[in-house]
Amino acid sequence: MKSHLGILIMSVALMGTAAAQQVERGGTLQLAVDQSPVGLDPHVATAFSTFVVTGQIYEGLLDVDANLKIRPLLASKYTRSDDGLTYTFTLRPGIKFHNGDPLTAGDVVYSMNRVKDPKIASPLASRLSAVTSVKASGPLQVTFVLSKPFAPFLSEVATIAIVDQKYVEGGGNLQRAAIGTGPFVFKQWIPDTALVLAKNPSYWAKGQPYLDGLKFNIVPDASTRQIGLQGGTYQFLPNIDASVAATLKTAPGVQLLRSQDLAYSLLGMNVSRKPFDDPRVREALNYAINRPEIVQGVYFGDAVPGGPIPPALKAYATPVNNFPCYSYNPAKAKDLLRQAGYPNGVDFSILTFSTIKTVSDAAQVLQAELAPAGFRAKIDIQEFGNFVQNWRNSNFDAFVSLNGGSVDPDGQLYRTVVSGGSTNVFKYKDPAVDALLEQGRSTTSNGSRVRTYAQLERTLACRGPAAFLAYGALYSAARTEVRGFTPNPTRSLAALKTTWINR
Amino acid sequence: MLTYAARRLIDLLVILFGVSVLVFLMIRLIPGDAVQILLGANTEVTPAQIAQLRHTLGLDQPVFVQYGMWLSGILRGNLGQSVWTGASIGQEIMARLPVTLELTVVPLLLASALAIPLGILTASWHNSSVERILRFLTIAGITTPAFWLGTLFIYVAFLIAPRWATIGYVPFSADPLGHVSRMVLPVIALALPLLAGLIRILRSSLLEVLGQDFIRTARSKGLSERRVLYGHALRNALVPLLTVLGIQAGYLFGGAIVVEQVFAIPGFGRLIVGAINERNYALVQGSILVVTAGFVLINFLVDLLYAAVDPRVEYG
Repeated sequence: MKSHLGILIMSVALMGTAAAQQVERGGTLQLAVDQSPVGLDPHVATAFSTFVVTGQIYEGLLDVDANLKIRPLLASKYTRSDDGLTYTFTLRPGIKFHNGDPLTAGDVVYSMNRVKDPKIASPLASRLSAVTSVKASGPLQVTFVLSKPFAPFLSEVATIAIVDQKYVEGGGNLQRAAIGTGPFVFKQWIPDTALVLAKNPSYWAKGQPYLDGLKFNIVPDASTRQIGLQGGTYQFLPNIDASVAATLKTAPGVQLLRSQDLAYSLLGMNVSRKPFDDPRVREALNYAINRPEIVQGVYFGDAVPGGPIPPALKAYATPVNNFPCYSYNPAKAKDLLRQAGYPNGVDFSILTFSTIKTVSDAAQVLQAELAPAGFRAKIDIQEFGNFVQNWRNSNFDAFVSLNGGSVDPDGQLYRTVVSGGSTNVFKYKDPAVDALLEQGRSTTSNGSRVRTYAQLERTLACRGPAAFLAYGALYSAARTEVRGFTPNPTRSLAALKTTWINR
Repeated sequence: MLTYAARRLIDLLVILFGVSVLVFLMIRLIPGDAVQILLGANTEVTPAQIAQLRHTLGLDQPVFVQYGMWLSGILRGNLGQSVWTGASIGQEIMARLPVTLELTVVPLLLASALAIPLGILTASWHNSSVERILRFLTIAGITTPAFWLGTLFIYVAFLIAPRWATIGYVPFSADPLGHVSRMVLPVIALALPLLAGLIRILRSSLLEVLGQDFIRTARSKGLSERRVLYGHALRNALVPLLTVLGIQAGYLFGGAIVVEQVFAIPGFGRLIVGAINERNYALVQGSILVVTAGFVLINFLVDLLYAAVDPRVEYG
């Protein structure tokens, strides 16, 4: 009898939790973001303010999940030929664009060629640089042929949005209106006010999304967004600063959703200028940085020091205690500077900007930390547009910034440090590093890739052109009634399709 | 009067032309262009692609060619197109202008309506303790910027009545009550500093006028204090108030820009700030031209009003 009662109580309790976990449908989620999108064309406007919105409307062949695993999305499966040169994707049947057009292999071919088209000048074009041809090998089958084996191919091609060929060729302006296959349908864009999306009633994943719609309210003032969340006007603030997260931690009715960020803060050096042309000076600078102090002072304790590869890429990242220069040692730094011919220390200026608080904070903490070792830094805070121009033209001694990370070590390192790479603003040139980078992208054997990147990390960590500072935690803040959202290290908000509001 | 108005109109056109040249050159002196801003840092784009984008947007043309194209567009009534979205700039400005005009005109009317009775009150209670309190309040009002008041109001509103506090914007036509409730706080935030300033001006000019000979004459004729104040003094004291109102309208426009940022109101200010950040040249130029036209027009109207209020002002 007693045991029966126990079972009864237990099953009631279980029913209770099951009921609490029951998804509720309906409602529009009120998000607050800081910036208007600069246009909606997912192949042209790649700014983050556009990406958070278009990511709900468009989908790629594959997706990167919260554990950074690549998994099927529009393509249900793919095969790779033994020589690594041919990839064949099979599309899910019965998927429709928001205007009712069926998704075909032709749309995928069209989308890829649109990204490659020089006239479109898509910033994503380099993701397809290894692709020599894309062909429809069946109504729902697409074959990519590569010029050489390219290990990061899947992660590069995965998230390129598939657009409707008929709609675009029929004169649809993708910058103003969007037609995709995603869980939410573009409804209205009121410039500088809001972007409204509605549920896609015929979304291919049955039962999703749970919400009736999303409203991205554009609220430029950070304190207004924060008060609005606390007051309940807004329910979701995606990807907030560490300092905002710290103040919202104890706010009633608010929860913080945490993930590890792929983006990293760095102090970049111009190796074509004195004093950073000397690898010993770059190593000295690394010794002069107190990384735990940056984690405390800039990230409020919620970050990890990391090397050239994000700790979130567990298979590749080398633990930082393998890099001796990551332990704070101003005496050693001074010694290295003396060896490099700077017994009285060096003067240099740090280029930076103020729109991301983490960045300007890091610059100030660094300035103080570097001084005892003989690095006398002057901080040059510029307006963002100005910063980007000087950054692109390598017009700096050093800079402090936040770089977006990648889900593949090749994406993380190749274009940044390869000789003449598109974002190698450091002007760094090292034939040995170039050879390793080529090897890393052309081998498809996992074991050999891991060894290659471990060697690259050792080469770059102390004497490379960038002093890697820290990888922060990535926070979104939401009202407690918001359920089912899993933050993604890539900052993607794809999980909004399984988000629901508990009423 | 007509020749006076015509001459002022020609002045207006000359000023607008000068401003168009200045704005055009100034925005291009700022480093970075639309392409740089769109691509930002850390994008995987080659110099050849940057050049292609710049060509598509016409940014590779010599500056005077770009200016010529822009000017000829304006003369044909076309302010151009937004760089990325292709939206018509004329339409975009017309959509935003009413919002900011509301944030300029309503506080202006509100402040002027309250300033006259309160100004008279402080002037007639000269040196009383009530006047001292009012003087303290007006100084506090003048020195408090509207955007700070705005932030304070939002905090207080959410503290007192989180359910009723609202941020953002809805058009009057869509939801009249929602529109008014969202505009109350920004309007008060903008009106208060202006009101304080106007009270100070009116008080001191009234006191000055009341000390003049013709007032003594009027009193000696046995006129009631009421008739002296309203019939003689006020009319003369209003001239400096009008001048200040004209200048304040400009400040108010500037204040509205910052207040729009705080209250997330999609007005003209947000449009200009966004356009500058995105280096959306045509949009910046068009907007500033419209703002300048507005300023010059207000000045023009103030000049005409002087003449109506004070017959001593002659059409020079």
